[in-house]
Amino acid sequence: MERRNSPCLEDPPHGDGQTTGSRNIPDNIIRIDHLTKIFGGRTKNVTAVNDVSFEVKRGEIFGLLGPNGAGKSTLIRILTTLMEPTSGTAFVDRYEITRFPEKIRSIIGVCPQNSTLDIELTAYDNLEFYGKLVNVPGSELDTRIWQLLRMTDLEDRARMRVETFSGGMRRKLEIVRAFIHHPLILFLDEPTIGLDPEARREVWQQISTLNEEKTTIILTTHYMDEAEKLCNRIAFVDKGRLISLDTTDNLRKLIPAGDLIEIGADLMNNGALAELHENSLITSVDFRDRKVFISAKNGSRVLPAIVAVLEKYSITMTSISIRPPTIEDVFIYLTGKKLDGGGISNAKPAAGERSP
Amino acid sequence: MIKGAVAIFKRDFKKFLSNPFVILMTMFMPIMYLIIFGNAMGGTITHVPIAVVQEESFSTSTPLFVSAVDMLKVLAQRDNPRMFDVKVYTDEAKAKRDLNNGIVKAVVVFPSTVSSSDAVRLYVDSSEYMIPSLVQSGVQMALMSSGANNRVEINKIYGDIKYIQFFGVGVIVMAIFMSTMMGGGIALIKDREMGIIEGYLVTPVKRSSIILGMIGSGTIRAFLAGFIIFIVDILITGIIIQSAEDFLLVLVVLFITSLGVTSLMVSAASRFANQQEYAAVAAFFSLILFMTSGAFYPVVGMPDWLRWITIINPEYYAVDALRSIILRGQGLGVIGMDLLALLLFSTGAIILGITTFRRTLE
Repeated sequence: MERRNSPCLEDPPHGDGQTTGSRNIPDNIIRIDHLTKIFGGRTKNVTAVNDVSFEVKRGEIFGLLGPNGAGKSTLIRILTTLMEPTSGTAFVDRYEITRFPEKIRSIIGVCPQNSTLDIELTAYDNLEFYGKLVNVPGSELDTRIWQLLRMTDLEDRARMRVETFSGGMRRKLEIVRAFIHHPLILFLDEPTIGLDPEARREVWQQISTLNEEKTTIILTTHYMDEAEKLCNRIAFVDKGRLISLDTTDNLRKLIPAGDLIEIGADLMNNGALAELHENSLITSVDFRDRKVFISAKNGSRVLPAIVAVLEKYSITMTSISIRPPTIEDVFIYLTGKKLDGGGISNAKPAAGERSP
Repeated sequence: MIKGAVAIFKRDFKKFLSNPFVILMTMFMPIMYLIIFGNAMGGTITHVPIAVVQEESFSTSTPLFVSAVDMLKVLAQRDNPRMFDVKVYTDEAKAKRDLNNGIVKAVVVFPSTVSSSDAVRLYVDSSEYMIPSLVQSGVQMALMSSGANNRVEINKIYGDIKYIQFFGVGVIVMAIFMSTMMGGGIALIKDREMGIIEGYLVTPVKRSSIILGMIGSGTIRAFLAGFIIFIVDILITGIIIQSAEDFLLVLVVLFITSLGVTSLMVSAASRFANQQEYAAVAAFFSLILFMTSGAFYPVVGMPDWLRWITIINPEYYAVDALRSIILRGQGLGVIGMDLLALLLFSTGAIILGITTFRRTLE
């Protein structure tokens, strides 16, 4: 599941008080600078986004991963000019979000979390309406609409009202609608929420295809497999704060325990266990249910040594599996809670970046 | 069963209490009805402008003329201001011109001779409801108290106009208003409620485009509604459109009225987030504008404070313009002011709508 890394040059210098990007083509298509959003309530204020700063590189698929209510959608809404930040700033391409919202609107495509299709209109009419709003030239619009309908396999449904569509069909239609004008950046807010596995795979396929057209894609999700499968880099957000941001591989390395190795064995020898413990790369060894569970840094490198030890004690191995920690494991490690919101008691203490 | 009913009752009541605006409007509406409907319909008609003139070839004012004019001037409703605003003319033709242009509602022509055998001629604007009979009885009262028994010869300058014809014109305007209440603004709120708006606020579409688009479609719908009722009105009430020019002029008035009223409602809708609140406000506007438009009852019969509302009420100008064309066959010269007022109003409402429309989600 290795994804190519985007051409990552050095980060641009961070001068204080930058206004607009002075360079012609900055590597970072989005720059977020100490962004905070506070919603005023009658009784108390809710901080949805809390002093968040990061950058998104041109051409990558960037994932915002976090549980429900983490502030992902608010962040997207600020970047897509639907809301103004309470403090801080952000640049989309070369434009500051509060000063040039109209410039930004013409270079982005957005697929919000809740459906914004007009279900009383047909699929074709929805695309046509949107195409006109985003200034797709009239001569190209019809061709483009059919092209998008072909992409989504909705050609035969073109003249049917969207209210007759399934959730997956609506979602696919909405994603391609956001792409009708070849935007520079595509924002997808929870693109696969509520979809069945088949429909999710189709949506993923579509997102990958769109990214091949050099579009930067920013997607929010609380499904770790989705983020793992699609994203070049992932930002973890929780309670409005940015907890960690890195490539999928680097995030996995944040867990000190490293990879998880499972070896099937009918019998186990205490001598073998002791010897395994002596290996400095191995952090823990456990035997239960006829399986040896080993946590090791750099699992594939240490595996031959493990096999050698077991062979030395003539232990018959029935199976070997090695898996890197999942993104969810990392998230649990960093925040002490699962992505779907449920806390778990035996989680490791939070990392230093976390807010008190 | 009871448990379920209680649960549903509680849920509904909780929602009712959580929206104080709607509660307020439900209380407010009947009170407004009482005040506005009561005053607009039941008011006594006062200050009717009438012209008095003595027939040509007179040397001095006859005693009858002098005393009758004095009587007309002092005639008053019980405990109320004067019934007539009397203007003395010296030229009968000029008085009649003013009657045709709606400046005065009646012309009383006294004979130049003292003889009681000559008739007093009365010309009344019969397109107004109640006013002709009021003028007639006023003139007769004035003659009687002057001791004269001259005949009164009544000329209804627009022929016999039935109340349904008078009212029918108002209903055309009502059709326009109904249509704008249902369409126009509500679509904007529906988009907001259903979240569709989030889909197009992220596009480069300008808020002026959104507002103008809504006003455009609402105006056409309102215009069609008004046009259909206009045709129905012709068929049912038997009004007669004199010329193709008049017909076209009616269409122009209908269109500008549709534009003005739709703009007002779309502007109101641009600030509202839910249909209930909007419906309450729309009903309020509907009431106050329609009641004070003069569709039911002559505006001169309203109390002064209510008459002020008519000055900024687009429906008043619409009703006035339509009545001028349909019932009196008057042309652009008379309705020019009405059209100007409607256009000013529409422009103001459109600007208001565009500037108050929220381009963000908050």
